[in-house]
Amino acid sequence: MKTIQILGTGCAKCQKLAQQTTAAADALGIEYRLEKVTQIDQIMKFGVMFTPALAVDGVVKVSGKVPDLDTIKALLS
Amino acid sequence: MTQQTSCSCGETASKRKVLVYACSGAANVAEIADRVARQLTAEGLGQMFCLAGLGAGIANMIQTARDADLNLVLDGCPLDCARLIFQNAGVSNVHIIRVTDLGIAKAKGVPVTDQQVQIVLDAARQALATA
Repeated sequence: MKTIQILGTGCAKCQKLAQQTTAAADALGIEYRLEKVTQIDQIMKFGVMFTPALAVDGVVKVSGKVPDLDTIKALLS
Repeated sequence: MTQQTSCSCGETASKRKVLVYACSGAANVAEIADRVARQLTAEGLGQMFCLAGLGAGIANMIQTARDADLNLVLDGCPLDCARLIFQNAGVSNVHIIRVTDLGIAKAKGVPVTDQQVQIVLDAARQALATA
């Protein structure tokens, strides 16, 4: 099971990334657990400077942008 | 006391995502680079980021550098340590400023002057305006 984390304080972009990522993961049919990391100090521990960011199993895949669905699918695969 | 934090999504601003690095060496030119990087951050022109993290190969930090619109790198001297770190990390969206190219001689144990910092700061602001 993959652990998918959405890093962001909860603004519209963060929520959009969460929605897109959920849609991508569901479309791929993978088993996953989605976690929203909203505390700045926790986000900083990932080494990101820009949110929203997407991490899969602790590895940051993208930060500072909301990729399109196909890109997110590729990042999750 | 609650620390006020703000979202870094840039939702309301169309600002570029600029990260700023200093070579963090021991000589005067490195101190100048460090002071300029911090000043640019204070002015909101970029965010200082940790060059050592990239040098250590920390994957999440390298990804962050890749995702920036621009990485402004302040190298102190022709050894180009910071540039080489970026090269080794495979991050190419970089603009380099070398302090010694701006007429400031490398030395150790020599105090940095505000005028020297200003020279590099001006060059960095110019680079950010055009890069």
